[in-house]
Amino acid sequence: MIEIQRARIDVEAVVDSARRDDAGAIVVFLGSVRSDPEVQALDYEVYKPMALRTLAELVERAKAKFGVLEMSIVHRVGRVPVGGDSVVLACAAAHRSEAFAACSWAMDEVKRIVPIWKTEAGPRKPRSRRR
Amino acid sequence: MQVQVRLFATYREIVGAGQLAWTLRDGTTVGQLVEAVLAKYPRLVGHGNHMLLAVNHEVVRPESVLREGDEVALLPPVSGGAR
Repeated sequence: MIEIQRARIDVEAVVDSARRDDAGAIVVFLGSVRSDPEVQALDYEVYKPMALRTLAELVERAKAKFGVLEMSIVHRVGRVPVGGDSVVLACAAAHRSEAFAACSWAMDEVKRIVPIWKTEAGPRKPRSRRR
Repeated sequence: MQVQVRLFATYREIVGAGQLAWTLRDGTTVGQLVEAVLAKYPRLVGHGNHMLLAVNHEVVRPESVLREGDEVALLPPVSGGAR
C-alpha cells in the first residue's frame, strides 16, 4: 500500500496491508506532529505523481536491500494537527532484525528524497520546517 | 515549444504561482530554462544551488534537453535534518 491522502491515516489498515504468512515480524513507524510553543499544526505540500513514484521505487529498493517481504507507506498532506500522524510505515520481514533495519532506512529515505514539504502553522506567520 | 514549470513550497511562495507555462526554443536544456526562470524571478536566485530538478516526475541533470509538453519541476530541498 502506497498512498498520499488528506484524511487521517488508519494505522491498522496500513499494518494489515503489509501482513504476509511468511513474515514473522512487522515493524510499524508512526511519524507524529510534535508540540512546540509556536506550532499548532503542520501543513504538508506534495508533488503527488513524483512522490508516489519515488515511494514505489523506495519500497522496491528496501525489498532488494533488506529482503523485506512487504512495505506499506501512507503519508498525509494538508493540515495535520499536533498529535496527528503525518506518516505511517509498516515493514514486514521474515525476522525482526531486517524489519527494524529496513524501517529505519526507509524513513530516512522518505525524508531525504520524497517531494513533500512542510510548513509550520501557528499563532505567528508560517515558516518552513525540516521534516 | 512550450513546457509547464511546476513550483513548490518556498519557490511557489516566491513566484506566487505553482504552475507556469513557458515558451522555449527547441533544444533548450533544463539548466537554460532554470536560468530564464531565475532571471524573471530574481528572488529565487539564492535558492538555485539547492534546487533539485525533475522532468516528467524523474530527477534530471541540468544538461537534459527539454521536449514539447514536458513538465519541469523546481524542487526545494526535502532533506530533513531533525529526526
